[in-house]
Amino acid sequence: MQQAGNAVSPLQTLLGDYAGHSGHDELLDAEQQPRAHWQGLLDDIVSLGPDTLVSRSEEVQNLLHENGVTFNPYEDDPGQLRTWQLDCVPWVISTEEWEELEAGLRQRSRLLEHLLDDIYGERRVILDGLLPPELIFTHPGFLFSAADDPSQVDRPLLIFHGTDVIRDERGGWQVLSDSTQSPAGVGYALENRITLARALPSIYRDAPIKRLAGFLQAQHRCLASLAKTNREQPNIVLLSPGPGSPGYFEHAWLANYMNFSLVEGDDLVVRDGQVSMRTLGGLTQVDVILRQINDPWCDPLELRQDSLLGVPGLLQAARSGTVHIANAVGAGILEHPGLSAFLPDLCRSLLGEELLLPCRETLWCGSPDSLAQVEDELDDWVLRDISRPGKVYRADQMGLGALRDLRSSLHQHPYLFTAQRQVTSATTPGFNPQTRRLERQNITLRFFSLVEPDDLLKPVSERNYRVMPGGLAWLGEAGAPLMKSRLVKDVWVLAPVPQPHISLLRQAQGPIVVTRDGKDLPCRVAESLFWLGRYGERLDTRGRLLRESLARLLQDDRQESGFTLLPDLLTALEIPLELDEQEEGESSPVPGRVSREYIMTRDRLLQMFSDDLPDGLPALFGHFVRNSRAVRDHLGDDTWRAINSLRQQFNNMSRTRGVVVGQRHLEGMVLDLAAFFGLCNETMPHHYGWRFLDIGRFIERTLSSLQLLKLALVTAEEPGIPLWEVVLATTDNLTVYRRRYRSQLHPLAILDLLLFDETNPRSIGYMLKRLDRQIAKLPSPGSSPYRNTEQRLVIQATSTLHLVDIATLADLEASATAREALTELLDQLIEPMSELSNAISHSHFSHVEAPRQLVSMQHSGQP
Amino acid sequence: MKYQLRHTTHYEYSSAVTLSHNEARILPRDLPWQDCSNTQLVISPTPDRLRERTDFFGNRVVYFSIESLHESLDVTVRSDIVTRPRLAADFFSNIGWEAAVGELQLDPRRTNRDCLEARLYVLSSPFIYQQSWLADYARDCFSPGRNLVDAVLQLNSKIFNEFVYDPEFTTVATPLADVLKSKRGVCQDFAHLAIGCLRSLGLAARYISGYMETSPPPGEVKLLGADATHAWASVFIPGWGWLEIDPTNGCMPDERYIVLGWGRDFADVTPLKGVMTGGGEHVLSVAVDVIPLREEASLL
Repeated sequence: MQQAGNAVSPLQTLLGDYAGHSGHDELLDAEQQPRAHWQGLLDDIVSLGPDTLVSRSEEVQNLLHENGVTFNPYEDDPGQLRTWQLDCVPWVISTEEWEELEAGLRQRSRLLEHLLDDIYGERRVILDGLLPPELIFTHPGFLFSAADDPSQVDRPLLIFHGTDVIRDERGGWQVLSDSTQSPAGVGYALENRITLARALPSIYRDAPIKRLAGFLQAQHRCLASLAKTNREQPNIVLLSPGPGSPGYFEHAWLANYMNFSLVEGDDLVVRDGQVSMRTLGGLTQVDVILRQINDPWCDPLELRQDSLLGVPGLLQAARSGTVHIANAVGAGILEHPGLSAFLPDLCRSLLGEELLLPCRETLWCGSPDSLAQVEDELDDWVLRDISRPGKVYRADQMGLGALRDLRSSLHQHPYLFTAQRQVTSATTPGFNPQTRRLERQNITLRFFSLVEPDDLLKPVSERNYRVMPGGLAWLGEAGAPLMKSRLVKDVWVLAPVPQPHISLLRQAQGPIVVTRDGKDLPCRVAESLFWLGRYGERLDTRGRLLRESLARLLQDDRQESGFTLLPDLLTALEIPLELDEQEEGESSPVPGRVSREYIMTRDRLLQMFSDDLPDGLPALFGHFVRNSRAVRDHLGDDTWRAINSLRQQFNNMSRTRGVVVGQRHLEGMVLDLAAFFGLCNETMPHHYGWRFLDIGRFIERTLSSLQLLKLALVTAEEPGIPLWEVVLATTDNLTVYRRRYRSQLHPLAILDLLLFDETNPRSIGYMLKRLDRQIAKLPSPGSSPYRNTEQRLVIQATSTLHLVDIATLADLEASATAREALTELLDQLIEPMSELSNAISHSHFSHVEAPRQLVSMQHSGQP
Repeated sequence: MKYQLRHTTHYEYSSAVTLSHNEARILPRDLPWQDCSNTQLVISPTPDRLRERTDFFGNRVVYFSIESLHESLDVTVRSDIVTRPRLAADFFSNIGWEAAVGELQLDPRRTNRDCLEARLYVLSSPFIYQQSWLADYARDCFSPGRNLVDAVLQLNSKIFNEFVYDPEFTTVATPLADVLKSKRGVCQDFAHLAIGCLRSLGLAARYISGYMETSPPPGEVKLLGADATHAWASVFIPGWGWLEIDPTNGCMPDERYIVLGWGRDFADVTPLKGVMTGGGEHVLSVAVDVIPLREEASLL
C-alpha cells in the first residue's frame, strides 16, 4: 500500500477516517491494515468506484421495494409498510473462522435439542438439580400439555434453530439469544442475496462465497421426511398468523420458494384425528406443518383458549403422530434468556463436552447469589422479565419511581428476571451512499441451523445439525431486534475456491406438485382472489368516473351554463349531495373569479381521495391490498411491482388538494390497475384461482355498468349528450362509439354498444358470456347433473338480455313507456347479478365460524 | 369404604354443533389409598375418536371428538371405588413452617427430588397468584416458629369458620380478592384461597378435584344426583409428603373423599373442556352420585 507522494489512493478516499478504532474491526487489523480475507472484495469495491456504488445502492433499494420486501409491525395501513435498507457491502467471514463458529453453532443446536427432549420427557435436568424448577415452570413457553406421553417422541423437536450472535470488541464470539419456535430470517437472507447478486453481478458472480441454495434444499428434504405417512408427496403447509403479522412477507416468500401451501389457522381443521386443509375440492390431508405461530396460540383446546390463530385439536393430532409440526410445539422454552447461565454445565452433563460458543454473560436472578450481585450492580446489567417478553429494563436509563418498582418486583419474584451483561460489538464496514465512504457499523448476526435430514430417525444422541453458510446481519447495538432495524446486510462465508453458481430462483425442490392451483386451492385463497377482483375493479370504475368528473369540472367552469352535470356524477360516485355547514365554512376564500359552486363541487369530488371516507379510493385500495397480501404467494413478481407502484400512488393521494394533481393520480392508478389485471391474466395459471379473480372482477363490472346505464338513461337529473359522453369515456368506449356509429350520441346506439354487443368487453352481453364460461369451469362439490344456482343466475340474466324487444326501448328521450321498459330490463339484470356474488360465496368459500369454548375460563391475570 | 360413583355432565345446545374437540379429566386415578375398578365412560353421541393419556400431573385425560351434527352432549362416568384411610391418620411431623419454606428454597443441587418436584406448587399458576395480602390473611395461623402442620390446620379451620358457602356468589373466574372481601364462595374458591395463602408464604400447595360422600338430613332418604363434585387442597410437608385439607368443611379428607386428579389449580383439572363449531347458547346440567356400597351388597 505504498503511495507515491501525497496522492490519495481510491481506497483511502473510500475509507476516509475509517481507521483508528481501538476495538476489533472486521475489515482492519490492529495495524489498521485490511485483513487478508477482505482483500478480494475490497479490490472489487474500489474498482467499481463511489459513483457506481451509489447508483448500485439505489438499484438495490429499488429492487427491494419493487419486490415488496416488507416487514409490517402489526399495522394494516397499506401506506405504512416499512422496507429496510440493504447495504451493498456484506459482512464477511474467512473460511477458518467460519469453521470454528460453525462447530459452535452445531453444538449449540445439538445441546438445545437434548435439553428440549429432556424437559418434555424425563425432566432429569430438573430432578437432578441441574436446572432450578422455578426457571422452567414460570416460563410461559413451558407447556404442560406438551409434557405428557413422553415416550411418543421419535422425531426431532428442534428442526430449525436460529442463533443471534455478535463478535465482541475483543474479537470473540458471544451468543445473545436463540429462536426456537419459528426462526425468522432465512427468507430475508435469501432475498438479500438474490437482490445483491442482481445489482452487483460483477462482485457476486465470481466471489468465492458459499452458496445458500443447498441449505434450503436440505430444509425441504427434512420437512418432507418428517411425514409419517408413506405417501410419495407429503402435503406440507406453512401455517402463518396471516397478513397482519410482522413476518408475513417471509412466510409467503418461503411458501412460494419451497412450494408449500400458505395457510392460516382457519384453513385447517382436525377431523378423524388428522389435520386437513379446507380446499375447493374438499378436505385434503396435511402431513407436515411448518408453523410460524408461537407456541401458546397453536391450539385453543389445550393451550390459550382465546387463540383464533390456531387449530383446535392440533396438539392431539401431533401427539397421535398423524401430523408433524416443525418446530415441535413447546420449543419456545428454549428461548428463555436465563438458560444461558446454565448452558456450560448442561453441555458437560448432557453432551459430555465443553460448550464451544460462549453466551453473553448472564445471571438468573432466581439464584440467591446472582440476585445479590445484580442488586448490587444494577446499572451494569440489562434485565428481562420473562412474564413480559420483549421488555428490557436498563437501570441506568430509568427514573427513580420505575427503578423502585423494578427493585421491588425483583425482590418479590426474582426467578422471573434474567440479567444480561451489556456488550459492545465489533465494528464492520458498511457503505454510506450519502458520504460515499465506508463507515463503521455495529451489527448483530443471525445464523440458522437445521437437523441433518438423514439423522431424523436416529436417537437424539446421534442427531447432528448443519448450519446455513450465510445468514442475516442487521444494524443496531448488540441484541437490538431485527424487526426494528433500518439496515440489513448479506453475510458472506468465504470458500477456499470459487463455488459453482447455483441459481437460487425457483429450482425444482423434490417432487413437483402439479395440482398446486387446482382443487387443493384453500377456500380462503379463492375467497381473497374473488374479492381482490371485485375491489380492483371497483377501484378502476370509481377512478375512471372520478377522472371524468374532474375533467368535467374544469370544462364546465369555463361555461355559462354552470355545473349541470355534476350532481348526477356525484350520485354515481355515491358522494353525499349535501355538505354540512361546517365543511362549507371551511372552504378557503379563493381569489379571482372562481365561483363558490366550483369550490364546493371540487371539494366534494376531492373527498374521494381522503382516508376517512368509507367508500373513498384509499379505503377501497386498503381492501384491495389486504386481499392481495392474503394471496401473496399466488401473484407473480411483476404483478407485485404493479401493486407496489399503486401503493406509491396512494401514499401521496390523501393530500391531494388540486384537480390537476388528482387527475394525474387517477391516470397513474388506472394504468397500474390495468397492468395488474393484465399481468394476472398473463402470468397466473388459468386455474381456479385465476377464475375466482376474474369472476369477482366481472361481477363488479357488470353491476357498476348496469348502475351507470340506469343513471345515464333513466334517473339522471340532466340526461343528455354530455352525460352519455361521460358514460362512454368512463368505460373507455368513446372512440369505439365514434368509429362505429359515426353519429351524434344516441341512446339506442349506446345501449347497443354497452348492453348487447357481445364482442365489446365493456358490454353486459360480453361480461355475462365470460361469467358463464368461468362459472361452468369451477369445481362442483357434488356431482349433481343439474345446473347450480350460480349457473342459473347467469342464465337468467343472459335470457333476459336475449329476449329484449329492442322496439320497446326506442325513443327513450321522449317516451316514458320506453324508459319504464328500460328500467325494468336493467333491474331484471341487476337482481340476479347481485345474488350471484352471494351464491358463489355460499358454494365455494368456507364459512368458518370462530370456534367456541365449552367452558370459558378467563385467567384472573396478574394484578 | 366402597362406593359406586356416577357422574353425568349434560350439555344442551340451542343450535347444532358441527364439530367438537373435547378433553375430559373425569376418570378417577388409582392411589395407594384408592382403587378404581369397572370404570366406564359413556359418551353420547358416540365420539368419532377417543384417546386416553396421562397428563403432566399423572391424571387420566380423555380426548374425544364428535364430528357430526349434534345438539346435545352427554358424558357419564361410572366407577366402583374402594377407599382406605389416608396415611395422615398416624401422621407426625414437627417441622416448623419457616423451616419448610427454607427446605423449598435450597440450592437445587443440594436437595431431594420430592422437594424439587414440590417446588412447582409454590409458584403462581393461572388462577392463583402469590400475593402479600394472601400471606397477611394467613399470618395469625403462621406465627414465628409454629409447627407447620398445626399452622396449616388452623388456616383450614379459619377459612371454614370465616367464610359462607354460597353457590350463587361465584363463577369459575371470580378473583380471589373478591372472595376474600365478600367472605363467600364455593369449595373451589376456598381451595384456591387456602392454596394462595400457603404459596404466598412460600409453601407448596396443590389443588385436588374429586367427590365426597354426603349424608341426607336425618330421617330422609338420599336423593339421586344430589351429590356434587368437590375440591380441596393438599400441602407439601418436607420429609413426609402431601397432607390434604378441606377448607370448605374445615376437616382433613378421609375415606369419604374420592380423588379424581390434581394440579396447580382448577385450570389444570377442569372436568370437561371443549372447543366447538356452532352450538349457540348452551345449558349445562350435572348429576353426581356417590353411593356407599355395603360389604354384603358388593359380595353379591
